[in-house]
Amino acid sequence: MKRYDLITPEGTRDLLFEDCLARRKVEKTLADLFKGFGYSEVVTPGIEFYDAFSGSTRNFRQESLYKLTDSKGRLIVLRPDTTIPIARLTATRLKEAATPLRLYYIQSVYSNNALLKGRSDEVVQAGIELIGGENHKRADLEVLCTAVEALASFDKENFRLEIGHIGYFKELVAQLDLDEDTVEEIRMLISSKNYPALNDLLDEIGNNEITGALKQLPSLFGGVEVLDKASDIYANDKITGILYNLREVYDRLSCLGYEGKISVDLGIVSHTDYYTGIVFKGYLSEVGQSVLKGGRYDNLIGSFGKDLPAVGFGVNVDSVARHLERIGESPVSKPVDALIFGDKGYVVEAMAHAQKLVRGGAKVEHSLFNTYEETVAYAKSKGIGKVIRVGSDITEEQV
Amino acid sequence: MNKPLRIALTKGRLEKDTVGLLEKIGFDCTAIREKGRKLILPVPDGNLEVVLAKANDVITYVEHGVCDMGVVGKDTIQEMQGKFYELMDLGFGRCRFALATKKGSTFYGGYSVKTVATKYPNITRKHFESKGMDVEIIKIEGSVELAPLLELADGIVDIVETGTTLKENGLEVIEDICPISARLIVNTVSMKMRQAEIENFVRLVEKNL
Repeated sequence: MKRYDLITPEGTRDLLFEDCLARRKVEKTLADLFKGFGYSEVVTPGIEFYDAFSGSTRNFRQESLYKLTDSKGRLIVLRPDTTIPIARLTATRLKEAATPLRLYYIQSVYSNNALLKGRSDEVVQAGIELIGGENHKRADLEVLCTAVEALASFDKENFRLEIGHIGYFKELVAQLDLDEDTVEEIRMLISSKNYPALNDLLDEIGNNEITGALKQLPSLFGGVEVLDKASDIYANDKITGILYNLREVYDRLSCLGYEGKISVDLGIVSHTDYYTGIVFKGYLSEVGQSVLKGGRYDNLIGSFGKDLPAVGFGVNVDSVARHLERIGESPVSKPVDALIFGDKGYVVEAMAHAQKLVRGGAKVEHSLFNTYEETVAYAKSKGIGKVIRVGSDITEEQV
Repeated sequence: MNKPLRIALTKGRLEKDTVGLLEKIGFDCTAIREKGRKLILPVPDGNLEVVLAKANDVITYVEHGVCDMGVVGKDTIQEMQGKFYELMDLGFGRCRFALATKKGSTFYGGYSVKTVATKYPNITRKHFESKGMDVEIIKIEGSVELAPLLELADGIVDIVETGTTLKENGLEVIEDICPISARLIVNTVSMKMRQAEIENFVRLVEKNL
């Protein structure tokens, strides 16, 4: 039988040294930012019941979930997302808690990806959820501001936050009397900006104001002028409200010093069954996929039995970390300050000296060699600048 | 000048058609015409960099963002799927997916499970799934036409251009599945981060199709 004891499963990898430093740096930057805005950390289990991830507002593709069964034969999944577990715990253990709740998380999520596509099955995500709160606009602004701060902390210049509103698409298709499958087909074509196929499909449905507006939807991205263009194409009360809402957020973010870093895409139409309001994505130059995704989801927590509005986002920590390594912004591992060698008969004294230095905040290595000469050679090979020799007295040598 | 936009072209016929299009726009494509064995080629006056790749790889490169744009057939897109913008139908490389069988045989009929040979298992599966039909699919790498002749399969799903190969081998199309042509695909982040340049390129292409 073939043994797989020397490799890790497809889509996973071991992280060593510099890769760990980069990842921890991103995690720390985000944790500090989230804590700064008053968010508290939660940790949810790595495995959950499958039921939590199936249902109308939380539909995960079966194929993408890692599944196993528990001792009673119930279907368990490796956590594919953290927002849903947080919704579950909010509707249960935090049911009576005062709102708004500000929660953050940093943990891995798992998805079963197609083989050999260069995608990870295990990804660390960090994110926030702002739950409850009277004033949705203020909540949206706070979360968006936190999102831009996060992006700016990774790469001061080369980032972009793109905002949209799921209601624009939903309101347009609601005006057409269409079955679910057709709406889904339209959504997919808009989401992939597939103009030719979208035009064909909408021509079949009929030529009117609404299909005309849907045809243009994939092109409604860019600067704030997109919002004017949208209201020229088609507007009713609801859409006017949505566009006004987006403009207001855009202006407010510009006032916060992010001018030129914010753009608009009304064609963000992913997870329409889950998001209910503003949606957004964050990009870094040279990273081929969005590194941040979020939006408002007012029905999700309700589906667990406690009606609460919420807005949040998640960051793909791994792809940010890789980006920082690529642009040389990640920390490099440095050799320790000193290597400590104990002469024969001074083993305890040497260890005690190392202990003292470490307690004082220094980084040292304890030599495991039998001779001082070998210790010095080792220090040189590892780039350690100083060797401390503990014998009848303590001497230092720069090497 | 900015970093050039990188565009991946599917080697072979689509490459030639695309180069023809780029020349029609007015770009100097000598580097591509005289490429030798090079795989990354500059088109300086278009601020473009052309990468030559196999069809599936065009999608992989664009999806990962190492190429901003790509030219690839709809057949490959349907078979591979993936996350990118499918911005334009370039109109060339036209053909279609079709189901073909040996002349005179009845594929749809009877209750026996049919076997279909193809280079495109995903498209085949999807097509028969949509009909609620259970078929056995066998993946073939080379000339799919052989499979029904050797009686490995009842039919084949393949790209059909003129149908000459089929006819010469005693096969006939019994059902068209979908039309195919070359598409311009764009990485989702490039589309946003380099919007002006890409839109400008698309405008030039549109004008010269």
